[in-house]
Amino acid sequence: MTADAFLFWFLALSTVAGGVMVVSLTNPIYAALSLAFTMVSVAAVFVTLEAFFVAGVQLIVYAGAVMVLFVMVLMLFDLKHEVESFARGKVTGAIKLLAAGLLAGLLIGAILYSSSGELGSSAPQAAAQIDSTKTLGYRLFTQHIFAFEALGVLLLVIAVGVVALSRSKGGTHGKH
Amino acid sequence: MVNTNVFLEIGLNHYLVLSTVLFCLGMIGVLLRKNAIVMLMSIELMLNAVNISFIAFGKYNSNIDGQIMVFFVMTIAAAEAAVGLALAVSIFKRFKEVNIRFFEHLKG
Amino acid sequence: MGNDVFEITVNAVKLIVVFLLMVQAVPILVWLERRGSAFIQNRFGPNRVGPLGLLQLLADAVKFITKEDFAPDKAIRKLFYAAPVFALIPATLAYAAIPMSLPFMVPAFEMLGSTWGPYTFRVQGYEIGVGIVFILGVSSLAAYTILMAGWGSGSKFSLLGALRAAAQVISYELALGLSIVGVILLYGTFNLTEMIQAQQGPLQFTAFGHTITSAVSWIPNWGIFYQPIGFLLFFAAAFAESNRLPFDLAEGEAELVAGFHTEYGGFKMLMFFIGEYGHMMIASGLATTFFFGGYGIPGITPDELQQIILGWGFSEAGAGGLNSLIHFLSYNVKFAIFLWIFIQVRWTLPRFRYDQLMDLGWKTMLPWALANTIATAVIIYAVS
Repeated sequence: MTADAFLFWFLALSTVAGGVMVVSLTNPIYAALSLAFTMVSVAAVFVTLEAFFVAGVQLIVYAGAVMVLFVMVLMLFDLKHEVESFARGKVTGAIKLLAAGLLAGLLIGAILYSSSGELGSSAPQAAAQIDSTKTLGYRLFTQHIFAFEALGVLLLVIAVGVVALSRSKGGTHGKH
Repeated sequence: MVNTNVFLEIGLNHYLVLSTVLFCLGMIGVLLRKNAIVMLMSIELMLNAVNISFIAFGKYNSNIDGQIMVFFVMTIAAAEAAVGLALAVSIFKRFKEVNIRFFEHLKG
Repeated sequence: MGNDVFEITVNAVKLIVVFLLMVQAVPILVWLERRGSAFIQNRFGPNRVGPLGLLQLLADAVKFITKEDFAPDKAIRKLFYAAPVFALIPATLAYAAIPMSLPFMVPAFEMLGSTWGPYTFRVQGYEIGVGIVFILGVSSLAAYTILMAGWGSGSKFSLLGALRAAAQVISYELALGLSIVGVILLYGTFNLTEMIQAQQGPLQFTAFGHTITSAVSWIPNWGIFYQPIGFLLFFAAAFAESNRLPFDLAEGEAELVAGFHTEYGGFKMLMFFIGEYGHMMIASGLATTFFFGGYGIPGITPDELQQIILGWGFSEAGAGGLNSLIHFLSYNVKFAIFLWIFIQVRWTLPRFRYDQLMDLGWKTMLPWALANTIATAVIIYAVS
């Protein structure tokens, strides 16, 4: 087994294991910590795909900021014993699982069916030649500048909205 | 006779299948869990799955735009997490729990 | 890792050596901190065990290891025991990515009947293309250990301290990241080794196609002369990141006993200690690398030094090794100066109040860092 293949299978295993734990653990804090683990694994998967800068951003933004926020809020709530962590109803639950499984099967089938095309079999050649981070920045600020600015506006709106939400009556400081 | 090449030669399909599996796990989480925050986390899981497929496509097509899409997805995910957590905190302050069934009290 | 057995072995050993370097620096720093604080406060400090109290470290280590392994009743054991172990990981990973000296060449040699090709070994744990991004990303994971320790202890003081610390780390990460953007723009790279190479030689500004070299030839081409505001912001944010005075709100003895490690004792406490000192070392190493020429020596470039050493009658490889060693010493001198500043500040300044801390982070440092970034970008664009 080559090093690349070993790395992929190892990372795939840890990513999926983390994902399963997120869904199945009843204590939300453990779920959040395993999601953080999944995020780190996904960053490693990005490294195997030679997207080094994106992997770093994934670590900083997702694992370092978003998930820390989740964990902090959950610790503030201190939900040790959750009463109803899963949806009620065995039949509906089974149907939901079945639906998800069906979607997975459908997608995987489609992927395998289409793999005879040129995309899946072609070896990656040009990817290594790109000085990816510089190209990334150049493309981001020329071709995609509108989307970038729109995201900036979105973030501003959301910042205002979140402050308004947590300040309003019934929020963290409200009297009711 | 099992074809061992599937295990030894990692290609685009492997990453796509990994992405699919993660996406469906996230979907199961959204469908089955009742804790609002865990549902939010499952959505993050789905977004991560999509990111993997973006980057894999970007690499195997030798196109950097896949990585740029990932940036946008990450930004939106962070924004979504902020709003979702603010809502969850509001609900928690009111009902001392973040079960999704309390969200029906939001209609005003 | 490498192309053959020899290279892989050396690189693996190197990783262990870098880890041990970090861990072994901690007792020395603890001794320095205790003696230094005593010196600052006009008292003696530990001076009984061994000459100058140097063996106090050994006594401390024995004490730490032989203490009872204890967990509070209400603690969540899994997290309580996992947290100190995880505390070491981010610090170690980030520290191993900082280059400490010139890479040195090993020429081809005969061993066990076969020729082993020429090798180049870097004096750092591993080389990473996007060095800064990696270091920032890895060290942002430190917030988890704090939260795990705080919540896992099952104590109110721990939880409050952990929440404070995590909020502080997240807030200051923003200012830290933005303060480095100016440096990245200046050198046009994420790679730490390339940054150090850009800082070699005498100070010279390139503007409108002309190069202005400073009249005094020994003034080095260091980043601090281009990014003074960036340096101040970076260093202040680094203090907050490593949770030390004047930003150690997380501990705040008068309010929170000891913050997130209130319930920890013995060896587990020591692990947190190593983590905290590790962050201090990363901050010092990064400040050296970004703003003070890394391992470079003022007034002389590595190539010139190599020629001088060759003049003493060494072989090519021997001269390379000696050159590397001298640069390693140079790096460590700068590194030690920064560590001393950390200690000096800790024992000189009082603690901030929490609202002052947040105000400083969000309303002072963040705008200044943004302004610095924009000014740097505009100047670089206008000048080139």
